[in-house]
Amino acid sequence: MFASIAAFELRYQLRNPVFWVVAILFFLMTFGATTVEEIQIGSGGNVHVNSPAAIARIHLILSIFFMFVTTAFVANVIVRDDESGFGPMVKSTRVTKFDYLLARFTGAAIAAAAAFAFVPLAIFLGSLMPWLDPETIGPNRLGDYLYAYFVLALPNVLLTAAIFFAVATMTRSMMYSYVGVVVFLVVYLVVSSTLRSKPELRELAGLVEPFGAAAFGNVTRYWTAAESNAMLPAFEGALLYNRLIWLGVGVLALALAYARFSFAEKGLSARAVRRQAKLAAKLAASQPEIVAVLPPARPAAAAGARLLARARFEMALVFKSPAFFVLLLIGLFNAGGSLLFSNEIYGTPARPLTFALIDTLRGSFGIIPIIIAIYYAGELVWRDRDRKMHEIVDATSLPNWAYLVPKTLAVAGVLVATLAAGMVAAILIQLYRGVTDISFGEYLRWYLLPESVDMVILAVLAVFVQALSPNKYLGWGVMVVYLVASITLVTMGFEHPLYNYGDTGQVRLSDMNGNNVGGALAWWLRLYWGAIALVLAVLAHLLWRRGTDAALRPRLRRLPARLADVSGVLIVFALLIAGASGAYIYQNTNIINEYRTDDTVEAKQAAYEKKYLKYQRLAQPSTTDIKLVVDLFPHEHRMAVRGRYQLVNDTGAPVTDLHVRLLDTDTTMGGIEIPGARLVMDDADNNYRIYRYTTPLAPVAKSQLTFVTKRWQQGYRATNNDTNVVDNGTFLNNRNFAPQIGMSRDGLLTDRTKRRKYGLPAELRMAKLEDVKAQQRNYAGNADWVNSDITVTTDADQTPIAPGRKVSDVSKNGRRTAHFVSVAPILAFFSVQSASYAEKSADATGVKLTVFYDKKHGFNVDRMLAAMRNSLDYYRANFGPFQFDHLRVIEFPGYESFAQAFAGTIPFSESIGFLADNRDKDAIDYVTYVTAHEVAHQYWAHQIISADMQGGTVLVETMAQYSAMMVMKKLYGEEKMRRFLKYELDNYLRSRGSEAIEELPLQRVENQGYIHYRKGAVVMYLLADRLGEDRVNAMLRDLIARYRFRSQPYARSLDLVNGLKSIARDDAERQLVADLFERITIYDLKAKDAVIAKLPDGRWQTKLTVTATKNYADGKGKETPAAFADSIDVGVFAARPGIGEFSKADVDLIERRTVATGTQVITLVTKRKPAFAGVDPYNKYVDRNSDDNVVAVTEG
Amino acid sequence: MLELAHVSHVYANGTRALDDVSLTIPTGMFGLLGPNGAGKSTLMRNVATLQTPTAGTIRFDDIDIIADPEKLRATLGYLPQDFGVYPRVSAYDMLDHMCVLKGIASAGERKATVETLLAQTNLWDVRKKAIAGFSGGMRQRFGIAQALIGNPRLIIVDEPTAGLDPEERNRFLNLLVEIGENVVIILSTHIVEDVADLCPRMAVLAGGRIQLEGAPHDLIDRARGSVWAKSIARAELAEVAARHEVIATRLVGGRTIVHVLSDTDPGPGFTAVSGGLEDVYFATLATMRRAARQAA
Repeated sequence: MFASIAAFELRYQLRNPVFWVVAILFFLMTFGATTVEEIQIGSGGNVHVNSPAAIARIHLILSIFFMFVTTAFVANVIVRDDESGFGPMVKSTRVTKFDYLLARFTGAAIAAAAAFAFVPLAIFLGSLMPWLDPETIGPNRLGDYLYAYFVLALPNVLLTAAIFFAVATMTRSMMYSYVGVVVFLVVYLVVSSTLRSKPELRELAGLVEPFGAAAFGNVTRYWTAAESNAMLPAFEGALLYNRLIWLGVGVLALALAYARFSFAEKGLSARAVRRQAKLAAKLAASQPEIVAVLPPARPAAAAGARLLARARFEMALVFKSPAFFVLLLIGLFNAGGSLLFSNEIYGTPARPLTFALIDTLRGSFGIIPIIIAIYYAGELVWRDRDRKMHEIVDATSLPNWAYLVPKTLAVAGVLVATLAAGMVAAILIQLYRGVTDISFGEYLRWYLLPESVDMVILAVLAVFVQALSPNKYLGWGVMVVYLVASITLVTMGFEHPLYNYGDTGQVRLSDMNGNNVGGALAWWLRLYWGAIALVLAVLAHLLWRRGTDAALRPRLRRLPARLADVSGVLIVFALLIAGASGAYIYQNTNIINEYRTDDTVEAKQAAYEKKYLKYQRLAQPSTTDIKLVVDLFPHEHRMAVRGRYQLVNDTGAPVTDLHVRLLDTDTTMGGIEIPGARLVMDDADNNYRIYRYTTPLAPVAKSQLTFVTKRWQQGYRATNNDTNVVDNGTFLNNRNFAPQIGMSRDGLLTDRTKRRKYGLPAELRMAKLEDVKAQQRNYAGNADWVNSDITVTTDADQTPIAPGRKVSDVSKNGRRTAHFVSVAPILAFFSVQSASYAEKSADATGVKLTVFYDKKHGFNVDRMLAAMRNSLDYYRANFGPFQFDHLRVIEFPGYESFAQAFAGTIPFSESIGFLADNRDKDAIDYVTYVTAHEVAHQYWAHQIISADMQGGTVLVETMAQYSAMMVMKKLYGEEKMRRFLKYELDNYLRSRGSEAIEELPLQRVENQGYIHYRKGAVVMYLLADRLGEDRVNAMLRDLIARYRFRSQPYARSLDLVNGLKSIARDDAERQLVADLFERITIYDLKAKDAVIAKLPDGRWQTKLTVTATKNYADGKGKETPAAFADSIDVGVFAARPGIGEFSKADVDLIERRTVATGTQVITLVTKRKPAFAGVDPYNKYVDRNSDDNVVAVTEG
Repeated sequence: MLELAHVSHVYANGTRALDDVSLTIPTGMFGLLGPNGAGKSTLMRNVATLQTPTAGTIRFDDIDIIADPEKLRATLGYLPQDFGVYPRVSAYDMLDHMCVLKGIASAGERKATVETLLAQTNLWDVRKKAIAGFSGGMRQRFGIAQALIGNPRLIIVDEPTAGLDPEERNRFLNLLVEIGENVVIILSTHIVEDVADLCPRMAVLAGGRIQLEGAPHDLIDRARGSVWAKSIARAELAEVAARHEVIATRLVGGRTIVHVLSDTDPGPGFTAVSGGLEDVYFATLATMRRAARQAA
């Protein structure tokens, strides 16, 4: 009995479309994560997409999401019979409660488990796809899949099935079951984020986190790529107990469901009986209005009423359906999550400004509206037939459009409702975060309105397909094919929005520049696709399936005759609009502008490299003076540049050829004049020219180059519309508009997969540290030290800015002209900006500090000014004089999210610092940190520039990090630094796992951010601490003085390493410098326990047990242990170091003690009774697990 | 007047459900009698514009149904053999919605229509109940109510009395008679009494062809003298069936009455019966089967 009921239930569930919708949805999500580079769950870098760890993580994450689905399956078991009216019949049979309840549960749970099996299937199939980079795929091992499915996913599916089965049994309502899911989820998120924030609770979290994600995470937290690719956590310990505990909870939930379930129907309450009686009385009291002759039907006059009634009817059926509720919840959950955590930098939230939230919303909804459209179009179009109402309805005089339009509206209505729900979520988050001025206008213009139109266009397609399809499932299938095609065609190079149905391009939102990038094109495309959708809609009207015949052919036969009325007119009208708008768009994207696909751009880059890379070491004269006139026309997206370079042959040999090129192909090179040279090669397509001196340029001889360039994006491009010259917030650097002398690696293809695809070596490695020839070129694209004279003109309502002292600033005839002249040599790498700015200035002993910002973004301006002043104070005192009399921070639109240091000028993206919300005292003040970092580059880059070779970024980025850390330390005190150090350290340790080539020691870093920023910060902080901040700074001052504004040979990282070694006082210090710079060294310092006792003199003794190990790692993460003995901080505290409120007052004692490999007991004596004790409590070392350095004391 | 000329319908799977059917149906109630699977529903659907015949023409007055189905639908009332309902929708609301679908736009006219029909079909008291919870008879009455909306000139009711108890059936048929004066009503059924009691004209459809057409009493007259009855024991049935063409058997008080078809006196014990329509019907079917057997 049990087995046959379970089997029946399983068959029922498998026939239910929900099963297939869910299976396809999860299949596609997983397949996407496996095969599309942009979507990654659990893999990345050197971690294979089908590595054991990645498979496990995908299973974990999706199994949490899956609870919405399991609930749909199991709650249906209970609710179905009541809803269908079958309940009494079933319950009166001889089936026992046990069989009825649990057999059905079993069937439904098996169905849910079967649906989840599409996840491993999708990973497996995905890993076989030919377009994947073979380097990102490992061997497929059955064991990995079995582990992930049976150890991680299946228990989660069973657990949620059991819990929500119990909820459904008790509430007998689909709706309340889902309310249960939401409550569960909220509790889960709150509890797990609390547990996560307390490292000491991690072990506990491993047990109490129901899905095993915490237990899994505890084991794999700092796994390297090699480990992630090869290993799975042993199924033992916390993970095993976690699974057992929660399976037990599942069984309990089932038992509860069993206990609470009763076959008997709930009788009506007395109140309900009274209400019914009253209702019946009321009904009986009213008499029907009876007419002798029924009014005649007048179909012609009923169009409006029909549309209204049908739309209301269709919408009601959709909005009341549980599936809608589920989809809405998934969407909200998804959106809410991303909205809450989006735009966090250093764990500090950004102010939730509308434009940023809309970006997040658009990103997080992604595939869901399409799934909704597909599902509901099938349901609605086929509903009359599924309900067997079609014969009655189809025999009425209801015209076809009166089916079509309301159904489309209903599908679109659902979609718009999900959009609106996302918007409401965003607004709630704004309110929660303290934004009271809700910009409904922006929501409407940038989100609700355009996206709704897109949704209607999509809904029309889905309804059209269903109207023609012989059955619902084929229609769904066709739409899934459309969905897959719309994703894969783009990756295959078919990117043009004119043939990707419903494609409205990419609108880039910015608070400064609105939707000016892509916004207008999107509306043209909406007109175009809207017209095509209208054609589809009219065709669907003409071909609508009526009656019992599903065949399309008879309807097609009737089509020509039926075109001869309004329909034909509409089609012609729509085709005219589509043709006209399409032609207009085509003219913009393909005639006025060049249509470039990613593929063509990449192919061009590859060809460029093959043709010109050979010149990369060709010695070229240096530029000494640059004079530029830059005319900006922001609203025309146009700029014109005239310039003159003074060159000098400093190569020591005669120079025959001068290579002149312009990297940015959006800009065209006009006339170039070089007296005494003629053009011998002109590759206009690549902006690459070679000029030959009639007589070779002798050493030390001078030359001159004048040029004209133009940049003008007219109309719209199909993709990648210019984000540099824009209406408000123009930001370019000279490589965007001014020719460069000589070849470099800038702008070459970097993606390893794509490089191989074009027959290039997978990567271009940097020159080795020992290759002294490489010191002839510098790391900043070999930009020379120059004097600059830059004039920028722009519209009068904008502020033009370029590096240099501003010597004049005139507005006339609607144009504003500013003239900037350098007061010290600057690197020939500089920015030009123009926007409508508010300004705020301050003085820092002779230097004018200014922040140029959008007037809406004044939140952190004072903080930035203070950061600039504090930075300059520290740097001038410790590194030497500042070279300018001005220092500017200038906001630019968030098309990029970085801050970048040019000479005296720091462009700063609106999407970082300006919007940071630092009101929470615990939040890391990255506004100051980033500002200090960029100001530091005025020394580290703009005074000393390093060679283009291994370790090149150390003298630029690592030193800027170090400088910023010192500023932060001065501002916040040593005790507060642990949070920064830990953030940087964790980032480094995490990123190591996703290294794609090989991890290198710091002194050999090859532009690897996680090494030169993250590890570099920790390393330099420790060395300053260990060798003495003042001694280190004195050494650095010398280093800068030696290289200040100096050209080749450029500085190497070894200059710094040798400097550090020179101030090391003993072997231990020298060893430390070597371990940190020359090797990849990973420490593990751990406080095992701390036992306190009161001494007879009233003081407190702490016996701290410490273990220590040191390992050297190779580039792939393979480790070998090394002996270790160093003098390391140990301390006792009244509070845990690293939490926000921790301050100097909490430190009872901190001092250096010798700590060596192995276990040791360290005794510390303090006046006050301590609460915490630890080794390296501020996390200065590169510690594999920085969370176990401090323990709470125990009384012995 | 509804005219079918040489209408054939072949399904995609090759089943020839209608085979050259020609019929003229005047105003009034017209009975279409036939066994299950005879093609009745196909014929009805073809007339109701729900299927397009493979060949032939169908005209209703001056409307060419095949070329211009929309025009017919404006004046058509159709009650299919089997129909479902939307969940949680009450009879009143559903009927009101149907009014809109049929083209009654004004709220006042809809109210009059809905309430009159609900009263007429005796559903007034249950108007706020969900149709999903209706009994078979109530559901059929709802079905006829919706078919009557807007005074259609052509009403098609497909097997409306199947599954109704006698009282429900009577009530239902009475309703049809009331409206059947000035419009064309086609009533398809496999129950002979439905036709015999109500329809001035009828046809027998079997095997996709019209086997017989005319006024029931004409047909009965025509059949007179060819149907014979005999009361036999159950055990003798096989023997009788072997020797005679048995068109019907009926149990009366434990004995079996057989009706056989014969142009001459079939022998001892048989008496000529002045057969009812039922005998005519069964005789027709038997003739048809015989023809089919011979052809095979």
